[in-house]
Amino acid sequence: MKIKIDMKKFAAWFDDRLALTPIFKYMTHKEVPQHEHSFWYYTGSSILLFLAIQIVTGIMLALYYRPTLEGATASIERIMTELPLGWLVRSVHSWGATFMIAFVLVHLLAIWFTKSYRKPREATWMTGMMLLVVSMMFGFTGYLLPWDDLSLAATKVGTNIPAAIPVVGKWVTQFLRGGDDVTGDTLTRFFIFHVCVMPLILFAILAIHVLLVQKEGMSIPLKDELAKKKVPSLPFWPNFVLREVVIWLVLFGVFMTIALAFAPSLGPTADLMAPAPEGVKPEWYFLFLFQTLKIFPANMGPVTGEFVAVIIIVITVVIIFFLPFIDNKPEGKKGKVFQYLGIIGVIYAIVFSIWSLL
Amino acid sequence: MRIDNAYFTRRKFLNSLLGGWLGAVAASFIAPIVKFVWPPYKEPDEVKLVFADFSDMKPGEVKNFAWGVKPGILKRAADGSFIAMVGVCTHLDCNVTWQPEKRQFFCACHDGYYDEEGKNIQGPPPKPLRRLDVAVEGEDLFVRKPGAGAKA
Amino acid sequence: MRTPRILFWLVTVSLLLGPLAAAAQQAGTPPEAKDKAQVEAAAAPAAPAQEAKPSPAPPAAKKPAAKAEVKRTEPIVPAYTGIKEKTAVIVFFVWLWFAIGVLIYFLRQWIKESDRIYWAKYYEPEESPRKDNPMAPTLGD
Repeated sequence: MKIKIDMKKFAAWFDDRLALTPIFKYMTHKEVPQHEHSFWYYTGSSILLFLAIQIVTGIMLALYYRPTLEGATASIERIMTELPLGWLVRSVHSWGATFMIAFVLVHLLAIWFTKSYRKPREATWMTGMMLLVVSMMFGFTGYLLPWDDLSLAATKVGTNIPAAIPVVGKWVTQFLRGGDDVTGDTLTRFFIFHVCVMPLILFAILAIHVLLVQKEGMSIPLKDELAKKKVPSLPFWPNFVLREVVIWLVLFGVFMTIALAFAPSLGPTADLMAPAPEGVKPEWYFLFLFQTLKIFPANMGPVTGEFVAVIIIVITVVIIFFLPFIDNKPEGKKGKVFQYLGIIGVIYAIVFSIWSLL
Repeated sequence: MRIDNAYFTRRKFLNSLLGGWLGAVAASFIAPIVKFVWPPYKEPDEVKLVFADFSDMKPGEVKNFAWGVKPGILKRAADGSFIAMVGVCTHLDCNVTWQPEKRQFFCACHDGYYDEEGKNIQGPPPKPLRRLDVAVEGEDLFVRKPGAGAKA
Repeated sequence: MRTPRILFWLVTVSLLLGPLAAAAQQAGTPPEAKDKAQVEAAAAPAAPAQEAKPSPAPPAAKKPAAKAEVKRTEPIVPAYTGIKEKTAVIVFFVWLWFAIGVLIYFLRQWIKESDRIYWAKYYEPEESPRKDNPMAPTLGD
């Protein structure tokens, strides 16, 4: 007896109930403009590639990782030495974090310099900034999980920073640490943030971000928009998707090569009583903030230098968050100012990052 | 070579080549993931115990030892030799307990009973308790998987 | 204002090279030689730790730690357990790039074809010279 499955009827069954056809129809009609800056369209989906890699390797690691003070570093040791290719899974997850945040930053800069945050894409920019903060929180919470001496020190410093904020700072630090000090509770708490709380927040904001991108369409360069030029475009499916797959493959190859060649090591177990090890530093994407904090003197008048630094950083982040509303005349002089500010910001970040390593 | 009105077109052939390659690459990535997620936990091939702990067992006495992560049962037979069994019920893997007054093993999960040789006498267990080989070598007592062969 | 293209490349390259430089620095520095606490010989993990591929000679106490009670004071540096594992990794690396090369070859053919179809307006017969075609195909065929 032969059972024939008619795909069309199968699809129609779903369509009757879920009404997904408009989505597919939209995807076939979506168009991607082609111009001198259209290469930067690939940055967004590259982030998704690395996010997917992180989720898969994260789940694999979480199968064996033990988020307790006694078990954490031993379980990672086991992953690295006993389990088949465990060292590679850990290496991929560790490098994946770096690559994902690197591409988030590249994406941010691309949007900044092409001014794609202008009307009507302000909400996309703001959700994007939220995603940036969430990604960095992922990196920060994940960094503690191996519970080795460097990560313990970095976390102590990192969770101390909110304490500089006047009224609520102490509560924030206590919330992050699960108490006044970094303990085994902090580790478990960070694990739950990393694995449960932040992914939910990420998916919610990411869904809004992606939907907004689809709704508003892809932006074209400012000068083309001003000239009302009709930019040639390619269909998203299949032309642009196929090109994206090529980019993904290349990125994946480079990424796997680096993960294979530069597998991370695991430091000595964290000791809550031991002095901080030499060479304590946060992950590379926090280096410039780290250095900024370091250059402020210990006391500035009635407040600590740290307080001033934190306030300045918070204000800067808020300004960047509301950038579309501040830079509301992108074609004018103000627009040029923000271009230069962007360049200055990049140079500052690079210089300070390198400085903190010296 | 041109074939008019062919069902299997050149396009389909190229598509299937691409699909085949994608499948091969995907398989080569899925395989290590599968291996990682299903790592083998093997029972030990042999367990070394200190003979002194068991040398004063009376015939008919039963003691426990650790067989990997499962309980092992060591029983001294009437003639002074040892028999060893894995103390795990053959029904659904609960640990069995020794009832010395009734000289039987009892599994509390579904009321299974084994006699003192490990043979299943009552209840759902389908097979007797799994036997292991015992060998006394000098000061050590070795418990091995049956037929796993001796150390040379 | 046309942002100089060089700025884009400067930024991207530094963002991608930065982590590489950090990694190279990390791989190059020897792990801290601390006083070893008593390390009880652990029964289980027979495999010693593995070592990073590119870093030549140096450092790395490659010992696995003691079980449970004693805190590990030596870092674990990834290293290969034997020539077999090293060969397997190299083979995988070659296979990876070969597979990617083949896939990109196929994808380029596919891209060229889909572009050609698009520019010829194959799926929009009204806008193409074939507007009187009674057998117009639809996307998904």
